[in-house]
Amino acid sequence: MSHEKLTLEEREALRQQTLVKHYTANILTHWFNAFSWLLLLPTGFAILLGKAYPFVPQAWNDLVRNVFGGLAPLIKWHAIWGQIWLFVLVFNVLFGFRKYFIPFAATRMWMDKDDWRWLMIRPLQMFGLMKDKPLPPQDAYNGGQKLYSYLVLIGTFFIGVTGMIMTYSELIPTSLQWLIQWSMPIHFIAVGGVFAGVIIHVYMGAIMPEERQAFFSMFSGKVNGLYAYLHHRKWYERKMAEQAAWEDHYQRQLTAAEAAGGESPAAPEPAPTGGDR
Amino acid sequence: MAEKKRYAFVIDPARCIDCRACLVACRAEWNTPPGQTRIWVHSDGPRGTFPNLTQTYVPAQCHHCADPWCVEACPTGATFKREEDGLVLIDEEACIGCGLCVNACPYQARFRNVQTGKADKCSACFHRLAAGEQPACVATCIGGARMFGDLNDPESTVSKAIAGRAVYRPITDEVNTQPMTLYLTPPDASAVQVNPTRRDPVPAETFWHTIGLPVVKLAIAATFAGQAAAFIIQLLKGENEYEDA
Repeated sequence: MSHEKLTLEEREALRQQTLVKHYTANILTHWFNAFSWLLLLPTGFAILLGKAYPFVPQAWNDLVRNVFGGLAPLIKWHAIWGQIWLFVLVFNVLFGFRKYFIPFAATRMWMDKDDWRWLMIRPLQMFGLMKDKPLPPQDAYNGGQKLYSYLVLIGTFFIGVTGMIMTYSELIPTSLQWLIQWSMPIHFIAVGGVFAGVIIHVYMGAIMPEERQAFFSMFSGKVNGLYAYLHHRKWYERKMAEQAAWEDHYQRQLTAAEAAGGESPAAPEPAPTGGDR
Repeated sequence: MAEKKRYAFVIDPARCIDCRACLVACRAEWNTPPGQTRIWVHSDGPRGTFPNLTQTYVPAQCHHCADPWCVEACPTGATFKREEDGLVLIDEEACIGCGLCVNACPYQARFRNVQTGKADKCSACFHRLAAGEQPACVATCIGGARMFGDLNDPESTVSKAIAGRAVYRPITDEVNTQPMTLYLTPPDASAVQVNPTRRDPVPAETFWHTIGLPVVKLAIAATFAGQAAAFIIQLLKGENEYEDA
């Protein structure tokens, strides 16, 4: 959060603004992903035998296996939901590639110097250190969120590929058995890595008071101007510039139409950044 | 409560003439693919000098060890030791054919079935046992070289067969999985393939145990501890409803 002091009037004016941070498609994908993780994580941990691979207590294995009626039904269920999860994500990326994925990748994903500096300061501030050090301005996502997005993208890729290998392992010839053998630890590490990130993501996104707006934006899609200004200054300024350009364009069309005595102009195309801006 | 069974194979190599009826019976029972088998008859070839030649045939199969390394190697428990009788079995529906158990078995008694893509091995014909019958290989052994039964039952064939006899367990100083196969008239273990050989774990298994598990545990513990500390600080500090946007 920026430490720049705003006047009370400025704060109030900013509070009155509303900016769209997430589109409905992104919100639905996010919550579908979260729901799937809630189902797949506990069942996946229960598949891994606690005795041989001491990660969860044996009691958890026994409990979940009993709920599902044994190991085989549990694995089958985990594999079926895993494929539904994968299908929905791949479907969304493929069909939303032009309007959602490319704009997201182009405008929201890449780390810059400010992001790295943010990463060096913000974690310490959470523990009461460097409190007076101003945070560098952030784009639509801060350095931590960007880093986490890489973890999620890479993790999801490996979880999906290795999950499919294990699900359809009987199709793999014995000469390529090493593929199945490596799929197991890679699946485990990818899940563990993303889960470690999820712990931070859930705390910073849903529990930390300063990010309350971010949490509710994952339902409404919107944040107010004050939050955007304080937490995502670069994004806020870009959005304001985009909006001004759009309004200017619209006004010019309106004026031209009025001068020609015609009807109101059609709304211009959205700003070129598009997607989940 | 009835005492648990302790199933075991007792093999008398002196009675084996290498007719291989047991292999045929096993294949017929389990429809194992060509080139793969659940049981074997090992031999070290003729010994001695003509005309004083001898040859020993040593039937073998999964030993249903009391301390099975294959069960330890299986990441999910798809291969398991049945509590009520000690048989080591495979849940085929749960098995993904990773082959860690195949590599772990020091007797090479397991293989990956080329038709099913699952781990496969002798199951002591558990379905026949449930029907009160002997395993197919035992039932078909005309020389009586293969025997099977409950060692906890003094009246069983196996208990009677080993009574007062010297028995040989195929173990070494390095490998003792407590195999539940007892050989009468101990074979020349140096020449036949019944003794166990320890194999190194496959690289992926080693990687999982030495790097994967500790790294994931550490990562999750560290992030959890970090967020827990941050939350405690938040509880101590309280929230500023006007300052925060």
